[in-house]
Amino acid sequence: MSDLILGVGDFAATRTAGIQVKTFALGSCVAVMLLDPATRTVGMVHVALPDSAINAQKSREKPGYFADTGIPALLNIMAGYGCTGNGRGMIVKLAGGASIMDDNETFNIGKRNQAAIKNILRAQGLEVVAEDLGENYSRTVSISVDTGQVTIFCPGRGQWHI
Amino acid sequence: MAQSKGKEDILRAIREAPLLSPNTSLLLQKTSEPDHDLQDVIRIVKFDSVLTARLLRIVNSAAFSTVHPITSVDRAVAYLGEKMVVGAALADSVSRLFLKPLSGYEGGRGELWRHDLFTALAAREIVRTSRSALSADLAFTGGLLHDIGKAILSDFLHDTSRVAVAGIENGELVDYLAAEQESAGLTHAEVGHELAKHWKLPASLQEVILHHHHPGQAGESVRALVYAVHLGDIVAMMAGCGTGSDTMQYHLDVGYERYFDLTPDALALVLVAVQEEFVKAEEAFALA
Ligand SMILES: [Fe+2]
Ligand SMILES: [Fe+2]
Repeated sequence: MSDLILGVGDFAATRTAGIQVKTFALGSCVAVMLLDPATRTVGMVHVALPDSAINAQKSREKPGYFADTGIPALLNIMAGYGCTGNGRGMIVKLAGGASIMDDNETFNIGKRNQAAIKNILRAQGLEVVAEDLGENYSRTVSISVDTGQVTIFCPGRGQWHI
Repeated sequence: MAQSKGKEDILRAIREAPLLSPNTSLLLQKTSEPDHDLQDVIRIVKFDSVLTARLLRIVNSAAFSTVHPITSVDRAVAYLGEKMVVGAALADSVSRLFLKPLSGYEGGRGELWRHDLFTALAAREIVRTSRSALSADLAFTGGLLHDIGKAILSDFLHDTSRVAVAGIENGELVDYLAAEQESAGLTHAEVGHELAKHWKLPASLQEVILHHHHPGQAGESVRALVYAVHLGDIVAMMAGCGTGSDTMQYHLDVGYERYFDLTPDALALVLVAVQEEFVKAEEAFALA
């Protein structure tokens, strides 16, 4: 079985044993990963921006692109795998949301992504069990469907797990 | 001592690097002149059968779903615009450099081209927020070329990426340029600038390459252009289109605020637009 690869703004869920759900070089984007222990389903959305209000058409074409449309879209397809539509009982892991080296109001998209995602999760009553967020490096992230372990890779920094 | 020998080797590698085709040089020269027009571009393309064939293939590819096939150079150039013509000419002329795996940065084959293309498209979008008149096409060309020095320097960085990243993290090195300077005696901006001189690129593009991480140091007449590429570069890295271990390991020069009216929303819209154009452009150039 080959791994499930997501691009920017993509979201997917799977129950296929032995594979990874993977997304490359997140930069300021955030990978939101949901694991449902009851159905052994794993889902991921690659969020690029916090708020769909800036481009409603884009959010219809690619709901995963924005935090506010991406998380509901992911929960929705996971419901198709028998998960609860509201995410109750799911385990949440987050990675990405990097910043440039300087604090800057305009360029802090990574921070705004983190904040938007955490607000939505909180409103949904979902708790984050593991996260690797911020700093100033771009992460390649994959999650194992079998174990729920997240592997993070960054050139020059090696590989680690959350 | 070892470092100055290293420097000599790098300069030799620059002299031995592939040259631009004469028509690509001419195209870069012409399109950097403020008063050129599309007819000038068409005239150059017509003398280049390889480029003509390439442009017709691009314009009739799936990336641009035209209603009827386009068979004339004039229509192809008018349809694709100057940026695609320059991009195709550069891509063909020095694909060997653009596609080189950047082992010194732990970057894979094609990553430099993808980063440059993303930077070019982003620089072009940034120009829309410019406070004064600025050529979007020239910003695109500058974006394509800004990091070309990495293609040469990468071979001289060996296994320094871990040390570089650690040095920046603990504050010993101010950014990745400092790491390059420490490891090889030259930065990718300096190496790119040497290559640009070797290629006899127009002065404005030479300045883009040399100053793209510190646009404030560029001459006033080209400074806005250099800032556009600087910001495009940062947007590319934020979007995950970097070149390996140096991704996001550079500082933002906030002097851009004098030249661009870039609000957080405007930047978000730049990101959306560029990510869409990038998918199309990558497919059209089909370089990987
Ligand atoms: Fe650079
Ligand atoms: Fe760059």
